[in-house]
Parts: sequence; C-alpha cells; structure tokens
Amino acid sequence: MAPVKGGTRGFLRWLLPWGKGDEIPFSEIFGRFQSILQKNTTAMEIIADMGSKLGGEFIFDKKYLTDSVRQVGEAVRAGAYDLNFITGNKHLEVYDVLENLSMELEMELAGKIVVRERHHIYRLDQIAENLDDVVGLKAYNLSRLARMPQVNVPPGFVVGIAGFRAYLAYNNLFEKIAGLLQECAVGHRGQESASQAIRLAILGGDIPPDLRREILSAAEAVCGGAPERSYFSVRSSALGEDGDLSFAGIHDTVLNVPFRELLSNYKKVLASLYSPASLAYRLGKRLLPMEMAMPVLYQVMVDSRVAGVVYTLDPVDPLRQECLISASWGLGSTVVEGAEAVDTYRVARQAPHVLLERRIGHKASMLAPMAVGPLQEVADARRDQPCLGEAEVGELTALALSLERFFKRPLDIEWSLDQEGRLWVLQARSLGAQKSGRARSRELKGRLADHAVLLKDQGVIAYRGIGAGPVCLVDEGDDLSQVPVGAVLVAHYSSPWLAKAIPRASAVLTDVGSTTGHMATVAREFRVPAIVDTGSATKALRPGQEVTVDAERNVVYLGRIEELLHHQLLEAASFETTYEFQLLRRLLRKISPLTLTDPESPEFSARRCQTLHDVIRFVHEKAVQALVEVGKSPWNIQRRGGKRLKSSLPLDLVIIDVGGGLEPEALPKHQITPDQIASMPMLALWEGLNSPDAWSTEPVPVDFKGLMASLTRTRPAQLDGADTGLNLAVVGSNYLNLSLRVGYHFTVVDAYLGPMPNYNYVYFRFMGGVTDISRRSRRAALLATILEESSFKVEMNGDLVVARIKKMSQERTRELLVLLGRLIGFARQLDVLMKDDAAIEVYFSQFMAQPKERQGENLGHGE
Amino acid sequence: MGNNLSICLLDDEPIVGDRLRPELENDGYEVEVFTDSASAMRRVGERCFDIVITDLKMEGADGMAFLELVTERCPASQVLVITGYATIETAREAFVKGAYDFIAKPFRISEIREAVRKARAKLGKKTVQ
Repeated sequence: MAPVKGGTRGFLRWLLPWGKGDEIPFSEIFGRFQSILQKNTTAMEIIADMGSKLGGEFIFDKKYLTDSVRQVGEAVRAGAYDLNFITGNKHLEVYDVLENLSMELEMELAGKIVVRERHHIYRLDQIAENLDDVVGLKAYNLSRLARMPQVNVPPGFVVGIAGFRAYLAYNNLFEKIAGLLQECAVGHRGQESASQAIRLAILGGDIPPDLRREILSAAEAVCGGAPERSYFSVRSSALGEDGDLSFAGIHDTVLNVPFRELLSNYKKVLASLYSPASLAYRLGKRLLPMEMAMPVLYQVMVDSRVAGVVYTLDPVDPLRQECLISASWGLGSTVVEGAEAVDTYRVARQAPHVLLERRIGHKASMLAPMAVGPLQEVADARRDQPCLGEAEVGELTALALSLERFFKRPLDIEWSLDQEGRLWVLQARSLGAQKSGRARSRELKGRLADHAVLLKDQGVIAYRGIGAGPVCLVDEGDDLSQVPVGAVLVAHYSSPWLAKAIPRASAVLTDVGSTTGHMATVAREFRVPAIVDTGSATKALRPGQEVTVDAERNVVYLGRIEELLHHQLLEAASFETTYEFQLLRRLLRKISPLTLTDPESPEFSARRCQTLHDVIRFVHEKAVQALVEVGKSPWNIQRRGGKRLKSSLPLDLVIIDVGGGLEPEALPKHQITPDQIASMPMLALWEGLNSPDAWSTEPVPVDFKGLMASLTRTRPAQLDGADTGLNLAVVGSNYLNLSLRVGYHFTVVDAYLGPMPNYNYVYFRFMGGVTDISRRSRRAALLATILEESSFKVEMNGDLVVARIKKMSQERTRELLVLLGRLIGFARQLDVLMKDDAAIEVYFSQFMAQPKERQGENLGHGE
Repeated sequence: MGNNLSICLLDDEPIVGDRLRPELENDGYEVEVFTDSASAMRRVGERCFDIVITDLKMEGADGMAFLELVTERCPASQVLVITGYATIETAREAFVKGAYDFIAKPFRISEIREAVRKARAKLGKKTVQ
C-alpha cells in the first residue's frame, strides 16, 4: 500500500451528495457522524435492556416488547439515514434490509413464527444452532444430545415447520383452521368440537408429492438401505411445546411404524397438534395467539431389550436426593402408558449411585420392538425377573444426571437398552414437579435460618436461580482454565474476560457491573445464576469457602444448602414458559446476535445483515470509513476547520473538534498544542502515546528478511511529513474517533469516556504492517494477547485485530485508553522484530512489565 | 410467622399476576389476582385487602377509578400503583388519590417485594423476611 498523495479531492467530491465546489461543511459531516454514534448507542442500550429481561428478575408485558421493538427500529433507521447523508446515498440497500427486518419483527409480535429456513427435512445429526423454531424443541434437544460423546441417540430426521406449512397450504387448510381456532378462542365453539373438525380436515388431506418423496428418501437414508425391514418411531415435536411435563402425552407418538406407513403416520401426528388436550393447554397458558406448528420427528427404532423412563428427581418428594427409574421388557411404551406393572428403582443421586430400593413388577406383557401388532406375552420365567442389574442402574443414573447438568433442570428421560447392552436416549424433557414441592416450604425457611448470611440485598440480579460451590476469586490476568467446574466465580469487574469461565461456574458474583453487560448476557445464555454490582463480594467471601448463592432473593449463604438447590431445580423454568418470555426470545433472535464481524471481508455488506445489530455494526463501520476517506486530505480538512497538533512526537495529527474537545482558547487557532486538548478520551490516549517507552528511538535490530521486506516500502523515518495523511482525530468533551497511520499500521480508536460507566466504551482496530504476513500475524497475536490480558474482548482475523470494552468505570476506561496509546507506539516497529513465535512471549512480557512501574504514578495523578 | 396479610392484584396483562402471585404467596401473603377492573371492584365491594396493587391504564374502568373506590371503601388499604405509562402527572395524581408508592413497568420482582415490605411497615406489622 503506497501512501496516498493528492488525488483525493476527486474522491471527496464523489463522496459528497453535492456537485463540485458544493461540499458539505465538515461540521455537518461530523455532526451526522456523531448523530450516528448516538443513535447506535441508543439502539444498543435498548437491545441490552431487552436482553436483561431474559434474566427472569423483571416482569414485563407485551406492550414493553412492542415499544422496545419500535424504538430500536427507529434508532437504527435514523442512523442509516445519516449514513446515506454523509456518503451521498451510497448505502440505499440498508433501507430494504431494515424494511424486511421490521416486517419480520411485526409478524413475530402478531404471533407468527418467522423462520428463514426453507428446507422441509433436517437430519437429526445435522441440525444447526438456534433452529428450535424450525424443528421443534423436542427434536432440537435430541440433536444437541446426539452431539455429546457419551450419549447414543437413534438416527433420524425431522420434517420441519416448512413441511407442516406446505401440507396446510397444499390442502387449503390455513384459513379453515384459523377460523375454527378463533371460534374456539371467543367461546362460540367448544374445544372438543373445534378439535374434532380440525383433526378431520387434516387427516383428510394429501401430502404434497415433493414432501412425500423427501420423507421417503430421508427415511431410506437413515435406515441404512434396508427400508422393508426397518421400523420407525414417529413423534411430535410441536412448536411452543416447551418441554413442560404438562405437555407430555398431548401430542401423538407412534412406535414400530413400518416403512410403508411412514406417510399416513405423518398426518396422524400432525392432527394431534389440535387434540382437545392441546387446545385446552394452549388456552390455559394463553398461548393461542402464538402460531401453532408441528414438526415431526422420525427415528429408527432401537432393538430394545429393556426400556423405560428415568426421573432425575422424585416429583412427588423432590427434596429427596434420589432418581427414579421405571423399566419394562421390550419397548418402553408400557412404562409410559402406565397400564402394566413395571420395575421401579430408587437410586441415590450422589455418586456412586447406590441402589436404595427395588420393586419388581409382575410384567405379564410387553410391546416387542420391530414388530407390528398388539402386546406380546412375556415368558413366564422372565415375568418376575428384574429388568436391570445394579451396574445398569448405575450407568443409567450417571447418564441421566449428566443430561440434567446439560439442561440445568430436572428431567424426564425415555431410554432404551438394546440387545447388545447399549444405552440409548429416546427423549428428554423437563420434569414438572408437584405444586407442593414448588413453594418455599416452612422447613426450607427454617433451614435457611441455620446458615450465616454473607451478603444480602446487595447488587442486582442478572440471572435468577440458585447455585452453590466453593468460592473461586478471580482477578484479571488469572488463568481462567484453572477455575474448577461448579465453582462460585467471584470477581471485582463484570469484565467480558470472565465470560470464558461462566459455562463452568455454578454462580457468578461481581463487585461492579450491570445486568446489560456482556458478562450478564453470557450468564443468561448458560443459565448461570448471577448477581452483579454487589459492591463487596470479593471482600465478603473467601477463596475455597463453600457458599450458596440465592439469586432469587439476592442472598449469599455460608455453606451448601441442598434444599435450596432442589428448590431451584424445580422452579427454574417457570418464567421461561410464559408467552411474553418466549416472544422476547424470538424477537431478540432477529435483533441481538452479531453475525457481521469482519469489515474487511467481502461478506460485509448491507444485504448480509441478518439482525438489527448487524445493521448497527454496518452503519458504524461505513460511517467510520467515510470519515477516514474525508480525512485523507489533511490540507482540505485544515482549510475547513481542522487544527494541526504541534508536539514533540513524530506524528502529524489533525484534530476536529465537534464540541468541548478543545480548550476555548484553541478554537480560533490553526495550530494547537497538547495542553489545549480537553477531550477526556483523547487526553488519556495522548498520555499513553506520549509515554517514554512508546516512542523509543533506539535503532531496531532488523534481520535480513525483515529488512528486505521493509526496504520495499518507504521507511518509517519519513513519517513526519504531512503527505502520509490519514492521521485524524475527531474529538468531543467525552468522545474520540482517531484514525492513525503509524509506521504502516492503520489504527482506529473510537471511544467514549465519562463518569457514567454505561456510556463508556473503547473500540480499537489495528491492521497492516511493513513486513510479510506471518510476521504481521505474529504481531497481531501479540497485540491480541496483550489486549485480552487487559480485559478487552478481542477478535482476530489474519493481521486484523479488533478489540473492545464497554460499560467500565471512568477510571478503568481511562487506564485502558492510556494503555492503547502506549500500545500504538510500541507496535510501531514490532513486525520487523517478530522473527518467530517465541518473540510473542518475549515482547508480551516486555510490554506487560512496563505499566507496573508507572501504575503507581497514574493513580497518583488520576482524576 | 403470622404475616397472613391479604393482597389484591389487578392488572389486565395476565403475565403480571401469573408471575407475581407465586412470589408473593411464597412470602406468606394471601393473594387474589384480577385481570379486569370490574371483577376487582366487585370483590372490593365484598371485602377489603391489606394491600392493593393495581395497574393504572386498563380497558373499562381504569386503575385510577379503582384506586378511588379502594380508598373510599377501605381507607386502611395500602395502594401500590404499577403502570407502563409512567409520567410525573399520573404519579402525582395517584399519590393525591391515596397511593403510597408508584412503580413503572417493566419492574423487578425485588422492587415489588420492597414496596410491599414498606406497606407492611405502614400497616404496623413486623417486617417480613
């Protein structure tokens, strides 16, 4: 990349919406640029606020959701408008993307399920993340389990929501069903009658020919090419079926289905979506406004010797530390239906899972696998024999508890042992416990009184729940891979850096932080109870101390309180099954994930934006680029209000003040000095840039290869001329946007620094370099290591490094800006030095050693 | 612990009652939930509650009318107003009409718990754990 010399005016003209000589004043461009940043911040705040509602501590209604969606949409649209203003309508396609997203969000709010997936069929082992709205939760959960190495799930496939809709469309059933449901909802027609009419209509329909073909060929593929001898289970995987026990048995499951009956059973399972029990359930849970849809799960039958159900808790007496297993010969259906005598086993949850009690049922009949027809007689000798040995009971219990840990709720698991003794998981759903077990009993309150309270009502709950374990105090820079599984993670900052350890933690406590921060988001994602902003958790708790965190009542107790943990297992999912919560989760999927990450990739385009967050990111990036392009001509900028910074550093920097970024006496001048800077983030960065080690002028030992590479380009010594361009700082009292070319590194810093932690952020981007790509990549790795160590969230791609932090205290944000300043100078010559991978370690230590000496100083003159 | 205070909860969004009821019952309160103002008014005609929690903006008679009825029929009741239309004006009016506290939607469960604790103190009962 050669330095840009002249020739930029044509570019600038092209950039501007008006013709030659009719340029937009810079104040206008920067005003719009700032406006974009503000709109984006507003939008991100609303998104974060919506995310925080997933924690369960808030009660919100539909109006909140409608309002939030509208507000975030307006903010993003306004930002897109500003972007098009400053780029001369270069990004008009953003409007189309926004229009589509808004329409999808409106449809979700109206109860429609919006999925972008168009396939009819998904193989169980090929279901991607977040497709639970496409294949239904039952199939989705099984597909997650199938990925766990210790779990066997019978091979199969799902006819997804698009298949269901194709069936309704082919038979003209949409309106008919909607009409009947409406009559039922307003009470003009009984549930029985509505159910009967809908089911008849569905059973009388035809499967569209292409769907027929797809089902049959998928079935052939999963049964290993012997369709005539294969049998399948056909199960409902209805949408909105949240895994609550109350849903169990509402929809149909058909076992032992021979190949020739696969299609007729598809219709049978579809029809069961509208069973009387299903309609009653939806009316009772107020789920009727949400679209109903029935993905159907086909699986190859296991050649089952013994099968049954395991409950990870006794639902009648959930406070007992026991799992319950029921088992019968053949297929488990006699267990599920409860019509025949079965074996029951009571097993300790605590390893080694001692068998506590065994009742052997008189098993007179069984449903044999791979056979058509009614129940078969069990041979006399086997009727009173136990189905399971002690070792099998232990194995089953251990497996069930590992699934419980994965889903973080008590489970009802259907399992099967085949003729070879292999254990299969057929289904796993939440176990509903009895009401009486749900309330905090008087006994529980009594037990709580026995435990010392370490923290109470301090901080805010980021994710509701209860967790217990040994305290693990962590500090920035600690090796988080050392955090033991099940520890209660305690830290001073809610730093994004903590996120790595969260999936292993049983609870998280921090001294500072907010429920809208990245760490809180991660805690919610992994369902780890979290309390942030406690002020003193790191002081009140000691490492290794066993504690129980009650993030429902905001209390931390000394000791492990099993009763409370049980209570949690029973309570956990209750808020997640509400209509509003499910709707919020659906909406957020189209709003909050960031899929557009690499601005250098050709994929980085408006059309690739899948969420509102993507659009925000796109607008931000394009706005920064536009500004940098404008800044390619410092002469031009100076002529129009920019000021040159005069300092001892070999750095030609032009500063644009957008309000409060410079001292008043500097305003009329063309040249200013560093002491006339008033912008808080610029001052911090300058402090780092100006530190002695950042601009050490010692000759750099250049080895031959590095020398050859650098000789092919202009030497860094020539940098102090104005011709390098690109060094531009846009400053406000609390704002900084810096585009810097130092050496051949192209750096962008975008930051806000003020007293309100919620507004503070730093965005840092670094790329380019003077040597070959492997050295540059090493340098990027070094920078990433340093930045991560300093609590930045870092993304790396080749020699591009993007780092960000947000919502940190004023002092911490300031420190990090000082660090970035030093880093920019430090990195200047690094790629020449990065001869091998070992160099990363050497320079890392060198850099990290330096701030320690100065840190005392910094604190000394801190604001 | 003998804190069998009664609470009447009125909000036309069922989610509010669905989620608050178990929380308050867990705290030992006796809770009745209503989603339309007419049946809540009918009930207050029959009996008084120690604490009344009501939304302001609803179909039919709004929360302000319900608040007036409660303060007239049951002067000892402590009324807590929750609403999504939180403005200074409505808050002021609710206070004038006898509400003791005002919480904007969406709210945290702990905020309600805290407000109920305050009401309990006003009623001269021991603070609930």
